[in-house]
Amino acid sequence: MKDFMMIFIGETYADMGLSPEQLQERMGKWFTWSNKMEAAGIVKGGEALHDPVRRISGPDRVVTDGPFAESKELVGGYFIVSAKDMDEVQEIAQDFPDYDLGSTVEIREIMVFED
Amino acid sequence: MDSQVVDHLFRHQYGKMIAVLTNFFGLSHLELIEDAVQDTFVKATQQWRKQIPENPEAWFIKSAKNRTIDLLRKVKADQLRSEKLAHGAASIHLNDLFLDHEIEDSQLRMIFVACHPELAPDEQLAFALKTISGFSLKEIAAALLTKEETIKKRLSRARKKVVEKKIRFEFPDKAQIPTRLQGVLRVIYLIFNEGFHSTKREALIDRELCGEALRLNQLVLKKEMLRSGSSYALFGLLCFHASRLESKLSEDGQLIDLESQDRSLWHFPLIKVGNDAMNKAVTYPDQSIYHLEAAIAAEHLKAKSFKDTNWRAILEHYKKLQKLNPSELNRLNIIIVLLQLQKYELVLGQLSTIDESQLNQRAYLLWATWADFHFKMDDKKSALKYMDKALETVNNTLEKHYLLQKRNDYL
Repeated sequence: MKDFMMIFIGETYADMGLSPEQLQERMGKWFTWSNKMEAAGIVKGGEALHDPVRRISGPDRVVTDGPFAESKELVGGYFIVSAKDMDEVQEIAQDFPDYDLGSTVEIREIMVFED
Repeated sequence: MDSQVVDHLFRHQYGKMIAVLTNFFGLSHLELIEDAVQDTFVKATQQWRKQIPENPEAWFIKSAKNRTIDLLRKVKADQLRSEKLAHGAASIHLNDLFLDHEIEDSQLRMIFVACHPELAPDEQLAFALKTISGFSLKEIAAALLTKEETIKKRLSRARKKVVEKKIRFEFPDKAQIPTRLQGVLRVIYLIFNEGFHSTKREALIDRELCGEALRLNQLVLKKEMLRSGSSYALFGLLCFHASRLESKLSEDGQLIDLESQDRSLWHFPLIKVGNDAMNKAVTYPDQSIYHLEAAIAAEHLKAKSFKDTNWRAILEHYKKLQKLNPSELNRLNIIIVLLQLQKYELVLGQLSTIDESQLNQRAYLLWATWADFHFKMDDKKSALKYMDKALETVNNTLEKHYLLQKRNDYL
């Protein structure tokens, strides 16, 4: 088994202006999904991120605070799961709740450093 | 662990939190408050992904309190001072604002703000649906069959008026309560009607509007000084109508008329609640259109089958209604009852006096009634002619399908 990170990318709920009713529905779907993964015992970790972003870039260490124009490409959180391979994680990622809102899941294998 | 959160918890909680925070900060900060509360919900959506708090409502209250403290820091101190908040920030215990009856009280005050006579009727409706009921702009636009932009404008006009006209977050004076209460009941009635006599396809939002009207009416009835014949009668009426929600639409979403509805689907517990409300209504001296409309609805519910309907009693109620609140639509309703009673001469005489222009988008009902009359007279040709006219004027898809079906029955 290997560890993989599922990275969630998309516009924030706040920016999409979802209604309380819609937010409750989203919450329910996330809850169901994460509990399904927990029950399968594959979750190694995972966090959600706050919206504000500060970027530091370039040799001059230029600092810019969000929101940025490309707000649809914001990383909102991640899960680390253990699985056989990429395909198995792809299966797991089928239940990600926010595809219909235009969001994306990126799957990356976590590198194991050799001694 | 429980994976279920009570239906509409977020939406209902939204209205509660807005009301409580407005009670604290005053109406002039409404927009800031709405943004802050919305943030809390986004936060809940993220934090509850893995685990839903044992007491979600308590979580919201705690979160709202923290939000209040954040806001206090944000709102400039001098601004707060100059407004001379009714309850100075220092003198009140935040906790007190979150006691159940205080929350209800705040929500009721907000209802009176929404239904303030300074706001135009369409502004009242939009404001109530947003601020009290927690619907989004998009949802309100869908509910009222209009554009999101229009709702946005109505809301900002309403908010502006609230500030400019110095509308206060308080109950009206005792002497004004009966009049102001009528305004509140009217908005509740409108919200229900938007859902019940809906012209849209998304049945989901309709059901929510009906449920919301019932919830608001219940809230009104919780407050002793707001109990009256009309507030109970409206509640009775809404219960009676709501009991038929299930039977009104077929499985494929088509409209079913009273005659063909499966009466076993009527929801009897709601009818019982409605009856109890009507029994309370008659202990108060005031009369209203809601009493009469509820009486009509009750007659329909009482009938074991369509054939058993007591049309005579219904006719009397409609006549009283016409005296209390004359309208062309009500006159047409009287004629429709007369048609059931086979008083064809009366029908013919009165039907030709109905002013179609006053029926607005219900004008098709006039033509459909003409069609029915001719069909009963065995004049199929005229019946078809009028039904075609009805079909030309109807703009509600569900009604249109219903009329088409009726036209087929004529053939």
